[in-house]
Amino acid sequence: MPTHPFTAPSAACTALTEVGRSTSRHAFAWLAIANAVGLLMALLLAWPGLNDLLAPLTYGRWTSVHLNGQLYGWCTVPLVGVVLRVFLDARHPHAARHGNIGLAAWSLALAAGSLSWLAGHSSGKLFMEWTGWMRPALPAAMLVLWTILAAHAWWRRPLRASAALTGRTLLAGSALAAILVVPVVFFWAAGSTVYPAVNPDSGGATGAALLGSTLGILTLYGALPVLLGRPRRAAGGWARAYGPRLYVAALVASWLLYAGLRHGAVSHHRLAPQAALGTLLVWIPLTWLHFEAYVWPMAVRRWLISAFICWTLLVVDGWLTFLPGFSEALKFTHGLVAHAHLAMAGFITAVNHVVLRCLSLSTGPDEAPIRAAGGAVRSMATPGFALWHAGLVLHFIALIGLFTVERSDASALFLGSAEVEGWLWLRAASGGVLLAASVIWLRNAFRP
Amino acid sequence: MIDPTQEDSPRLSAVACAVVAITATYVYFLLFAEFALVELALPLAEGRLRWLLGALGVGGVTGSLLAARSFRFERYTRSVANGFRACGVAAVVALLAKTWFMMMVAALSVGLSLGWLTVILVSGLRGVLGGRRLGLWAGLGTGSAYAFCNLPLVFNASPANQTVVAAVAAGIGALAANGLSLTAAPRAERADFQPPIPACWIVAFLALVWLDSAAFYIIQHTEPLRSATWQGAWVLGGNAVTHLVAAVIAGIAIDRGFNARVVGLAFAFLTGAALWLGDGTARTTGVEVLYTAGVSLYSTALVAYPAQGGRPRLSAALFAVAGWGGSALGIGLAQDLHHIPVWFCGAAGLAFAVALGWRQRHLRRLGPAALGVLLCGGLLDSEIRASDDAVIAFGRQTYIAEGCLHCHSQYLRPRVESDVTRWGPAPSLAAQLQGRPPLLGNRRLGPDLSQVGNRRSAEWNRLHLIDPRSVSPGSRMPSYAHLFADGDRRGDALVAYLASLGRDSLASRVAHAAAWVPQASAHASAGEERDLTRGRSRFAQLCAPCHGDAGRGDGALTARLAQRPPDLVQRPWRHLPDGLNAPERELHLARLIKFGLPGTAMAGREYLPDEDVVSLARFVAALQAAGTPRS
Repeated sequence: MPTHPFTAPSAACTALTEVGRSTSRHAFAWLAIANAVGLLMALLLAWPGLNDLLAPLTYGRWTSVHLNGQLYGWCTVPLVGVVLRVFLDARHPHAARHGNIGLAAWSLALAAGSLSWLAGHSSGKLFMEWTGWMRPALPAAMLVLWTILAAHAWWRRPLRASAALTGRTLLAGSALAAILVVPVVFFWAAGSTVYPAVNPDSGGATGAALLGSTLGILTLYGALPVLLGRPRRAAGGWARAYGPRLYVAALVASWLLYAGLRHGAVSHHRLAPQAALGTLLVWIPLTWLHFEAYVWPMAVRRWLISAFICWTLLVVDGWLTFLPGFSEALKFTHGLVAHAHLAMAGFITAVNHVVLRCLSLSTGPDEAPIRAAGGAVRSMATPGFALWHAGLVLHFIALIGLFTVERSDASALFLGSAEVEGWLWLRAASGGVLLAASVIWLRNAFRP
Repeated sequence: MIDPTQEDSPRLSAVACAVVAITATYVYFLLFAEFALVELALPLAEGRLRWLLGALGVGGVTGSLLAARSFRFERYTRSVANGFRACGVAAVVALLAKTWFMMMVAALSVGLSLGWLTVILVSGLRGVLGGRRLGLWAGLGTGSAYAFCNLPLVFNASPANQTVVAAVAAGIGALAANGLSLTAAPRAERADFQPPIPACWIVAFLALVWLDSAAFYIIQHTEPLRSATWQGAWVLGGNAVTHLVAAVIAGIAIDRGFNARVVGLAFAFLTGAALWLGDGTARTTGVEVLYTAGVSLYSTALVAYPAQGGRPRLSAALFAVAGWGGSALGIGLAQDLHHIPVWFCGAAGLAFAVALGWRQRHLRRLGPAALGVLLCGGLLDSEIRASDDAVIAFGRQTYIAEGCLHCHSQYLRPRVESDVTRWGPAPSLAAQLQGRPPLLGNRRLGPDLSQVGNRRSAEWNRLHLIDPRSVSPGSRMPSYAHLFADGDRRGDALVAYLASLGRDSLASRVAHAAAWVPQASAHASAGEERDLTRGRSRFAQLCAPCHGDAGRGDGALTARLAQRPPDLVQRPWRHLPDGLNAPERELHLARLIKFGLPGTAMAGREYLPDEDVVSLARFVAALQAAGTPRS
């Protein structure tokens, strides 16, 4: 009996569940590490004398670890788990081990990278700081991962004997080919001579780049329900029936729009990029409709709601942030950090919880008792959920507070004031809350 | 033909000849190949010294491999003698070389002959000396060589004379080779020499040679360390004794089967010395003892281990990878980083621990990974930082390494007036993207630095980097005093880099400052008294560290400045034109306060609100007015 290339036979779900749990452990470990470093950074800002005790490991060196730990650890590892789930042949006796090797290679590369950044070896390119002997580290981990994926795709090949599955086989092959491009492009992009187009009036990303990266996330996250094997909801309205189709159609249209934009150093004062980014507003209802068309475990619905709230705020304030006047006020300030915080700690974290819960569920993706399993996970995660959101809001408030101070008087930030002190300590406190939540999740991930 | 089962006690003359041969080989290596050859080549090098070292290394590896291929016990004596002769000839060629080409030929010849000699000599030593006291004799030969090279007369000789001494040593070695008669089984059949254990030893020795070479280079090129380690007859004599004693003790311990403990102790000593040197400070007391003892311990083991095995291929692999490879990597690391990073010691320690823990299977599996870490470190540290202005390039690298771009942008938005006024002028987009990579940054926890060279002097930057809050009270910037420690050139390079940013835009900056006027609202402050209070408060915070609380030029930082800050209470003020009326004086003062005095330690306070700048100007003016009668 041939199987869907993107789902595994439920009889062999144990291995996939094991890999899903390993994914959770790696992801939460990186979240905890990155948050611990983030807390340290907040303390270093509130109490600069602490730098003297830690020298030469001062604020700047830790920042690289924090940013990259969040990006390549917490944000990316769950997606690594997703591709493993998609490609691993669960019937293989060593499937779980292979998955763990892929995850370990990723974490090892990131750990080595973190050490190198702490040692002062950085390229100077934000989020692309892999340089020198560490430049090939993450691409090498990607190649290890790809080798595992390719091997398992090959082992599953005989099952796809029927003509009906030829298209899916081709799809899997195409996906593998696309994934293989990633390490090559990544290595190239990490070079010191490669730099993206710059908005001449802000020194930041251009409208086209912002649109492209957002569409990339929408493409990736839009595929999640399928990649995670979520079943479609029974018919119950026009939106549920057509939500995913609308999503795909809008995605195609948006990518065409992106392709039609000028991709050079275009200012945010030009109308075209402003309008193009404005089209992202339609994705607020579209994403809701799309995700609503699938069945989700009860435990992840709260995270889905959190993700949608953050997504809505992000799209709106992201667009405003780009517009002339707002951009000038926010660029280089804590206001923009608040936007990034909402994206990473809010939206991405919520989506990651959805992904990790779905990867870790012991039941097959098409089976019924999903609510029961979800309920168990939900009860386990409640304190973390509450703590995290409290920390998220507090941190956001602290950042906005700092933004208002520096907007009115830049010297207050450079030279300090009681008000700045207060906001910085609030920021540190909220960092502690976020760390506490991530430690709870990490501990839960290691529970049987 | 030697009977492998035969184990006669070696003749005393053979022992003496073997010890002399070991001593001569080490003297040649230490005095000439490692030191005098480079000094001889320096006048011809013109920045190509790495090529010379490369030729030496390539020759060494090639010679080692050729020796392993052609080694025959039957021809041992002749092969060793020929090796010494070749070494002697190569030394003479180096001495006579007058062109860079000839020097390269000499380096290649030195590498080839020394690589050949070491592998041949060591691979047959067990057949000459037997297995019982092989370590002792190896230690005696090694220690004697180190002791000889530390004799003040030899150590302080000119490179040419040292080359002559090395050539003579090679001649003596050739003579001694004739007395090397084989009396014992040439090779030991022990577990230590069964795969994969030799590979583990190679990794361990690689870590040791790597550390030693890096530490040697740093000591040699850091004046306080060099003088503390190798200056004065007493220091050199102490080194000689330490070397000899440590080597002999190591040899005895090796004969009792403590090979791993000896190299373990050597690693501990070398790591201790490396970490001591690691932060670039000149706290040297004790470093020389750790370093010399560690070197002698592992150098003895480096002879004794392959000699015990009597396997030419093992000897060749050991000397090629650990000896020549480790030396090149160590020198490369020291040349590029000028210190030995803690992480490197950690990686070396891991590699070392894994290599010597081969009996535990799980540790053995980690061996390749640990070796990978070390080799990766080598690749990193072999990067050549090429630049038209190496100091500025190194400073930029330091800026990146310390993560300065996480708090400081280097991008001025041309349409944002506050950007241009505070940190300007704004260069073109192309100019702002010139760096590889551009360091635009995305935060401003501190000021933009793209043009900092036109508004902050090197003196101010240096003070600020060392003690930020003394010159900029309330700043959240970390202190980077550790970058300015003795022997660490990162701090000065960073200052040079900052000075280079915007150095071409000074005229534009001055013109902008001369045209600046405070916002009208700044003049309309509510009342003179409140204005003075505000100015006094800002003066105490921002100006008093240099100008003193009363403006007398006696602030806490005065002693650290090249030029004493002016007494603001006294007339005349050098930077204020005469004949100005009160509003004009106030405007000039406000400009000085906001933009500073380029080229001096007087930094502007560009980020202050105009109200604060005007209040400060009024306060300073009042300060002088109050002081006028006294002057």
